[in-house]
Amino acid sequence: MGFNSRFWWQWLLASGAISIFLFGLPALAEDAGNLYNTSYDIGQGQRYFERQCSRCHGFDAKGNDETGAPDLTGRLSRASTNVGIFNILRDGIAGTAMLPVAADLPDSQVWQLVAYVDALSIDPTNVNLSGSATSGAMVFTGRGDCNSCHMVSGQGGRLGPDLTRVGERRDPEELMSDLITPHEHVAPRWWTMKITGTDGSYREGLRMNEDSFSLRIMDNDFNLWSYPKTRIESAERIEESTMPSYAQTLTESDLDDLVAYMFSLRKEI
Amino acid sequence: MYKIASLLIALCVSIPIFAQEDPFQTVITPAFSPITWERLLNAGDEPENWLMYSGTLDSQRYSKLDQINISNVATMELKWAYQIPVIDRAETVPLVVDGIMFITEAPSNLVAVDAQTGRQYWRYDHELPDDLRICCGRNNRGVAILGETLYMSTLDAHLVAIDARTGNVLWDVAVANYQEGYSKTAAPLIVKDKVVTGIAGGEFGIRGFIDAYNAETGELEWRTYTIPGEGEPGNDTWSGDSWKTGGSATWITGAYDPDENLVYWGTGNPGPDWNGDARLGDNLYSDAAMALNGDTGELVWHFQFTPHDVHDYDSIQVPILADIQFEGRTRKVMMWANRNAFFYTIDRSNGRFMIGKPFATQTWAQGLDINGRPIRVPGMEPTYEGIMVSPPITGGTNWYSPGYSQQTGLFYVTSFDGEQEFFKRDEEYEVGERFTGGGGRYAQPMDAFHSSIRAINPVTAEIEWEFPIMPRSSAGITTTAGGLVFTGSADGYFFALDAATGEELWHISLGRRVHAAPITYAVNDQQFVSIASGNVVYTFGLRD
Ligand code: HEC
Ligand code: HEC
Repeated sequence: MGFNSRFWWQWLLASGAISIFLFGLPALAEDAGNLYNTSYDIGQGQRYFERQCSRCHGFDAKGNDETGAPDLTGRLSRASTNVGIFNILRDGIAGTAMLPVAADLPDSQVWQLVAYVDALSIDPTNVNLSGSATSGAMVFTGRGDCNSCHMVSGQGGRLGPDLTRVGERRDPEELMSDLITPHEHVAPRWWTMKITGTDGSYREGLRMNEDSFSLRIMDNDFNLWSYPKTRIESAERIEESTMPSYAQTLTESDLDDLVAYMFSLRKEI
Repeated sequence: MYKIASLLIALCVSIPIFAQEDPFQTVITPAFSPITWERLLNAGDEPENWLMYSGTLDSQRYSKLDQINISNVATMELKWAYQIPVIDRAETVPLVVDGIMFITEAPSNLVAVDAQTGRQYWRYDHELPDDLRICCGRNNRGVAILGETLYMSTLDAHLVAIDARTGNVLWDVAVANYQEGYSKTAAPLIVKDKVVTGIAGGEFGIRGFIDAYNAETGELEWRTYTIPGEGEPGNDTWSGDSWKTGGSATWITGAYDPDENLVYWGTGNPGPDWNGDARLGDNLYSDAAMALNGDTGELVWHFQFTPHDVHDYDSIQVPILADIQFEGRTRKVMMWANRNAFFYTIDRSNGRFMIGKPFATQTWAQGLDINGRPIRVPGMEPTYEGIMVSPPITGGTNWYSPGYSQQTGLFYVTSFDGEQEFFKRDEEYEVGERFTGGGGRYAQPMDAFHSSIRAINPVTAEIEWEFPIMPRSSAGITTTAGGLVFTGSADGYFFALDAATGEELWHISLGRRVHAAPITYAVNDQQFVSIASGNVVYTFGLRD
């Protein structure tokens, strides 16, 4: 975790309440919706969250495959203000597992919960990064050759996730670890399969989707293949990333620039 | 004005009936004769019907139908689909009575359809309050039938008796106060002239019980608490007042042995689920099988699978009863694949442990002692920081029905090999609020784990074969005299395996998670198999 120290704000994030105080307040003041936003309220909101919400959204609020509950630590898709979050909590999201909070829960407690959810995501306008986004964009398509695998706004490769809005789902610390330790927490969509068919054919590719009776891959020539499992003689599954680590091959300032660039990739509001 | 309108309606309705040919091959209402207790006792002998949640009182989910069998199952095709109007997951296991199918729907509704076409006779929509306390989704798993009356559990903790011919309500009783966290999701079980039923709410600090209601009047005939009260034996297995909020819910259907006159029922986790500090002791009768006298509800014996549970390893499984050859003698056994990842064969006349072994990955126990009590691995309790334990909260298996085949003598269960970080939190009990004391977190994506259908020999507790599927399946299992095992998967397949070998014989992609158990039945000598996937009930038969 040596690279941590390069972000002054990470230490604040780690110490929870303080960072929330720094980042959360200005945003809250703007929409003036929440009177329950002290660090005490956020703490109360967290307690309630752990008790009522964590079983779906997770203790870390990062979401859960199994329940379909989304990550709440990035930009929310259904609310852009505190009032919006409040409404989701009061009304639920119709037709989904996201039910309203108990009808007799006082507004003050719902607002504490809103304060906690709001504090989970950092406000980008309050983050100062040492790198330069403009230089990062150049590294991305130049020295870094990142665009051979990744698309940004419709330009680039198909062998990695689309990064057009990556700044909304990854914070700077996470973006840095994506570059340095790509093999940690690789989503199943990006695992690699090496498949020998019952007809003797051999193919290798990204694991697009696997289910109980079939498997789909994209090979390096972007061909899409769908196998019934009965036609697979043997298969090897590699749960690592195809992306190399850039810890050695790019300079620290290149990495900082890339992080700044990627963190700036978000939907304009 | 009113008269004219109704005359017009009458005309509109009658024209098609006279003017058109039969829209279906059969429009004759099938003969619906009352379901007596004798018929329920011998439900296995009328395999054209599916008369209770688990098919028969012994819960084997074994059907004597063999028109669809290992040699022709590959030619099965879709006959009809019924779309449940409220979009939610369907855990329903329909009943079929003389050509009529009864399907429960989320949140607490019931519909009667023609079992040959899936077209509706009537529907009942249960009115619910808007401040429900439910832990795990708006589920209902099915109804029970006696005479011409259907019995249904509802999310507001009511038991409702409904006329099977019209959908009219005969009576509706509150089993418990939903505002205190009680709810009802499971199909009741008929025992003689009583409706035996459990309760959900183990995440809300309830005190669990098993009830029996007079089928005719809805009056409570007996109630047996799953946590002993003050002064009763076993109350001292709870420190302080913790027994009052100890959970031990009963949210899945049990089984009944008429010769022993015993009702067998599983109990859920002690509460708070993941923090055992405030409820020191074994916490009887949580995570146990309870055997109750069918007439009085009196506890005859109990077997506790997980004393002082701190991982939410509910014993909310359907008990399967069978008479098997064990060490040279015929033994009356109960088979149980538990959420704690151990499989048990137990003598059902006295509750004595016979044999037990893990059937899924587990790290919390070194094994079972000669009485079947787990020998714990020290230091596996949830912590404030989190500790990795197998099986995860959702268990080696869970509430979804296992099956047993009289042909193979094997027990079939949907199993999960996974692990999770368990956390502990300090919580005060508040009426009607969640009371769980922690939770869990997966450190890997679901695809990194394994699910499979496992066939277990109840004599040796060994796994005879397994069929791998994607995690994490929550489908139940049904077996048939056609040599088949029917079940589904988390990724929306419905499939048939050879019960003897585990070989896959047929599958179809239904597109949405299977959260229910299949049933099989026949109308006009044609065998059907039905399964709920997503919010649709699909019915299959052989190609015409
Ligand atoms: C039973 C599981 C479940 C529980 C419990 C639950 N949620 Fe959700 N939540 C969901 C699901 C599923 C969605 C996504 C719904 C959709 O948009 O399809 C969701 C969506 C949300 C959203 C909107 C996210 C976005 O990107 O716009 C917020 C905010 C939220 N939940 C907060 C909470 C809070 C706070 C609690 C506790 C009071 C809670 N949830 C409890 C399942 C749950
Ligand atoms: C050989 C193809 C390849 C190259 C080259 C590549 N990546 Fe990746 N990248 C991937 C794949 C595959 C993943 C997804 C698996 C993972 O998390 O590592 C990924 C993931 C990422 C993620 C995480 C995205 C998310 O949504 O979580 C970021 C950020 C990223 N790459 C940035 C870069 C940058 C910046 C470069 C250039 C320095 C680069 N990548 C070069 C293949 C590549």
